[in-house]
Amino acid sequence: MMRTSTLIALAILSGLSTGALAATEVIHQQGRTFSSEAIKVKKGEAVTFLNDDSVPHNIMSTSKGNEFNLGSQSPGNSTDVVFKETGEVAVICAIHPRMKMTINVVD
Amino acid sequence: MPLRHLGRRLFIGLSVVVGLCCATRALCAALVGETRQVAIAPQGARGVDALKALYRRPPTIPFPKENPYTPEKAELGKKLYFDPRLSISAAQSCASCHSPSYGWGDGLAVGVGYGMQQLGRHSPTIVNAAWSDIFMWDGRLPTLEDQALGPIQSPGEMNMPLEQLLQRLNTIPEYKPLFSRAFPEDGMTAKTVARAIATYERTVVSARAPFDAWIDGDEKAISEDAKRGFAVFNGKAGCASCHEGWNFTNEGFQDIGLPSDDVGRGKFAPGVVKMEHAFKTPSLREIARRSPYMHDGSLATLEQVVDHYDRGGVDRPSRSDLMKPLGLTAQEKSDLVAFLNSLTSNLTPTAAPVLPR
Repeated sequence: MMRTSTLIALAILSGLSTGALAATEVIHQQGRTFSSEAIKVKKGEAVTFLNDDSVPHNIMSTSKGNEFNLGSQSPGNSTDVVFKETGEVAVICAIHPRMKMTINVVD
Repeated sequence: MPLRHLGRRLFIGLSVVVGLCCATRALCAALVGETRQVAIAPQGARGVDALKALYRRPPTIPFPKENPYTPEKAELGKKLYFDPRLSISAAQSCASCHSPSYGWGDGLAVGVGYGMQQLGRHSPTIVNAAWSDIFMWDGRLPTLEDQALGPIQSPGEMNMPLEQLLQRLNTIPEYKPLFSRAFPEDGMTAKTVARAIATYERTVVSARAPFDAWIDGDEKAISEDAKRGFAVFNGKAGCASCHEGWNFTNEGFQDIGLPSDDVGRGKFAPGVVKMEHAFKTPSLREIARRSPYMHDGSLATLEQVVDHYDRGGVDRPSRSDLMKPLGLTAQEKSDLVAFLNSLTSNLTPTAAPVLPR
């Protein structure tokens, strides 16, 4: 029974993922630098974090309501993130503190 | 199935998924999608001239606009930096642990603080601090001005409350005109003490080393061993992934697999696996004068440091993905050490200042 309900939940979540994660902005990371210092996205729109650098990055944010942590991502990996709360999201690489950017999430 | 049962099962299932999400990603308030593999253009190996261009010294020292350079501030800052009366015991100055005699470190495995107690970490050099963006081994302080007041107040180090520091400096008549000249508006405050010390520290820049002469075109400035070491440093050994640019650091934090319990940066990044046991990548300038090495001073020689990286360190979840056994040959290891030695200048002696009375 537990397995069934987990599968249902996973199906719902993956549905959300594929449906909602149509990325509009791609943030590159070459040379230990975000390709944009600041961007604006609509709530519910995805931002794609693409590690096209030569070293791993750990992209994350602790901004309230929009927290995320992609963990260590090797070059050649790409992940979409959808922000659910409006406001400023401070995004950093935990490994490389010179990498900072702001995402302004609007309605 | 009754609707309320389905709802309850869905809730349980979602809780499991969210729980898994939080367990693996630590934080998950934004919605994180699946990670995809993407083909990226391979970054081809650079020729030696292109590589050398990445290591040119900057022409000027950067000073922040909030605390611009003046000679008066730097002069006052130097006196404060070398003055042991900034510690409660009046026996330890900033220079006790960050001494020009030892490449602006102390030559010890770990620092020694108040009451001759050993501290937990190696005293880092202050060389080229002007180019740093984040301070301390664990990055807990954001500016050099903040850093300057940290060890002064730390109970384990100079153990001097700021109020008491200002009282003491006020009893030294010759300090007053120095503060008045350096800070005509503010005079002597904890903030101006920090601004003066930070200004002086920013003037401490590694002198030109044989490596710099080679970068500028003098082919005889460094040995053939060192040139081969430069290639290994940028190639097979991958040192330049972190020790990059003219100051040989990108200011990043990495767990390099030293067998130490110290969580380092992890204390300030809870839940971020790669920050556990991670420490700030230090500059390699003046490296031959700065033994012993690493955040815990556990390695006595550059040969031991190279051996550590060649083995790859302790394999644990927090270990940097860049750390792995390298398979360096004995020749490559000795070439790397020859290269590292070429980063050390003939340090110009620093004159100790005459202190105010």
